[in-house]
Amino acid sequence: MTPLLQVDNLTKKYGSIHALDTVSFELEEHTATALIGPNGAGKTTALSMLSGLVSPTGGSIQFQGGVKQDIRSIIGFLPQYPKFFPWLSALEFTEMAARLSGVETRQTTIEAKKTLEFVGLGEVMNKKTGTFSGGMKQRLGLAQAIIHKPKLLLLDEPVSALDPVGRRQVMELLKELQRKTTILYSTHILNDAEEMTDQLLFLRQGKLVEHGSLDEVRARYAEPRIVIEFEGIQELQRFTEVTKWQVTSKGLIVSIDVRLEKAEMSSVLSVLTAGKFLVRRVEWQTASLEDIFMKVAVI
Amino acid sequence: MNGFSVLLQKEWREHTRNFKMLWMPLVFIIFGILEPVTNHFLPEIMKSIGNMPEEAEFLWPEFTGEEIFMSLLGQYQSIGILVIILAFMGTISGERKNGTATLLYVRPMSFLSYFLGKWIVVNGIVLGSVWLGFMAAWYYIEILFNRVDAGAIFAFVATYSVWLVFVVTVVLALSAWLPTGGAAGLAILITLVYQFIDSLIGTYWTVSPWKLSMYASYWFEPDSELSNLWMSLGLTVILIVILIVFGVFLSKWNASKTTV
Repeated sequence: MTPLLQVDNLTKKYGSIHALDTVSFELEEHTATALIGPNGAGKTTALSMLSGLVSPTGGSIQFQGGVKQDIRSIIGFLPQYPKFFPWLSALEFTEMAARLSGVETRQTTIEAKKTLEFVGLGEVMNKKTGTFSGGMKQRLGLAQAIIHKPKLLLLDEPVSALDPVGRRQVMELLKELQRKTTILYSTHILNDAEEMTDQLLFLRQGKLVEHGSLDEVRARYAEPRIVIEFEGIQELQRFTEVTKWQVTSKGLIVSIDVRLEKAEMSSVLSVLTAGKFLVRRVEWQTASLEDIFMKVAVI
Repeated sequence: MNGFSVLLQKEWREHTRNFKMLWMPLVFIIFGILEPVTNHFLPEIMKSIGNMPEEAEFLWPEFTGEEIFMSLLGQYQSIGILVIILAFMGTISGERKNGTATLLYVRPMSFLSYFLGKWIVVNGIVLGSVWLGFMAAWYYIEILFNRVDAGAIFAFVATYSVWLVFVVTVVLALSAWLPTGGAAGLAILITLVYQFIDSLIGTYWTVSPWKLSMYASYWFEPDSELSNLWMSLGLTVILIVILIVFGVFLSKWNASKTTV
C-alpha cells in the first residue's frame, strides 16, 4: 500500500548548520506519529517543511506516491503558538480559513460553526480572538487546521503551552481526530506520545536517531528488570548469598536484569517465599519512554 | 487567483476595525480644510496672534484657488506621504513578524491574491482620503477664493493619484521585502528624500514619477505642454506594475520568515 507521506533524505541547512539532516520516514493513513526530541532537535523545521512554509535544501517529500498537487491543499497545520488577527471573531477567522482552504462558499459558515462546536468554542464563536486565553487559542488553532478535513494534520507541540485541564481536553480531541485523519505531531511531553501514537520518530540535532512503534522502541531499550526492596541490609545480604542470579544492589534495593539472567517474576517470588525474606516491595520495572528519550534523544 | 475575494474582505475588515478607514480620511480632510482657511484668514490671524506692532502694514499676496490647490499638494507631498508610509509600512512585514501570516501562508492561496488584496484596499483608503481632502479644499476655495475649473481639478487630482499609487506600491513592495523598520526607512528615502534630490538636480531629466506632483499643476495652465506629463505617467504605471511583480515575488520568497 502506498503511504500517505513519504519523506526521503529531507535536509535543511542554514549556512553550515544542519537544522535537519537526511531524515527519512513514511506515514501510513489514519495513524498518529509523534516527533520527539529536545528543543532545537529540528521538530519545528521538519513540520515547517512538510507544511510548505520552508523549502528543503535537499531530499524529497511525496504525498500519496508523488501525485503532483499543492501540498497546502491536503494538510492542516497548527503552529506551537498560533497567532490570529485579534480583530476577527473565532467564527470569522474559521470561515476565512475554510474559504482559503477551498471549502465551498455556501458551506463555510455551517462547517465553521460545526468545527467550533467540536473543539468546544461554540459558546464564544462570535467573540474577538484578541480576548481569547491560551487554551482557547489552541482550540481555535485546531479548528482552523481541521476545517477543510485535511488528509494530514501537522501539529507543532499542540498541548505544551496548556495547563493540565486544557491539555487533557485537547488530547481527547486529538484522539477523536485520529480516527478520521493522519496526524504527525511534535512533542516533548512524553506522556502524550505514549497516549496517542502508532509510530515514534526521535530527532537529535537534526538527525532521525530512532523510529518505530512504541512496542518496537520499548523492546529495543526497555531493559526489563525485577527490583526488590528489602527490610534491612542483613536481609539483602542473605538474599545475595543464596541467589543464583547476578544482581546489582544499591542501598536496600536489589535489581535483577531479566534479559541477562533469564529470571521470571514467579521464580523470584518463590525464592523470596521459601527463604522467608522480609521485603518492602517486589516490582517488575521497564524503561519508561522518558528513560528511552534520555538515552536516544539527549546526548 | 485563489482566495482573492477572501483576502480582499480580510483587508477591508482589518482597516475598518483598526479605524484606519476613519482616521486617515479625517487627517487629509483636515489638511484640505486648513489650507484654504488659513491662507484666506492669514492677515487676521497674524493681526490677532502675530504680536506685531500696531502700525506695521504687510502686503499679503493674493492667492488664487489654483495656487491653494498646489499649496495643499505640497502639504500632502510631505506630511501626507509620511502618514501613508507610517500607516502601511508593516502591512506585510508586520504580519510575518507577529506570526499572523503563518495561518494564511499554509493555505492554498496565491501570493498574487495576497499582495493585490492589500494593494487594492490600501490604495482605496489612500486615494479615498486624498480625494476627500481635495474635495473639502475645493469647497472652501469656492467660498473663500475663486471658482476653479472642475475638469482641471479632476485631472490635477487624478494625476496626483497615480503618484500616490506609486508611493503605496513602493511601501507595500518594501514591506514584502524587508522588516518593518527597514521598509519604512527605505520608503522615506525613495519617496520623500529622493523627491528633494529630484527638485535639486532633476532639471537634467524630464520624465520621472517624482515629477508627477509638479506636472499635475499643468492642468491649471491651459497652454502647458503635456508630453512630459504623459510620458511620466506612462513610466510610473510601468514602474507600478514592476513593483507589484516584485512585491508578489518577495511575499512568496519571504514566506518562510514568518514566525512559526
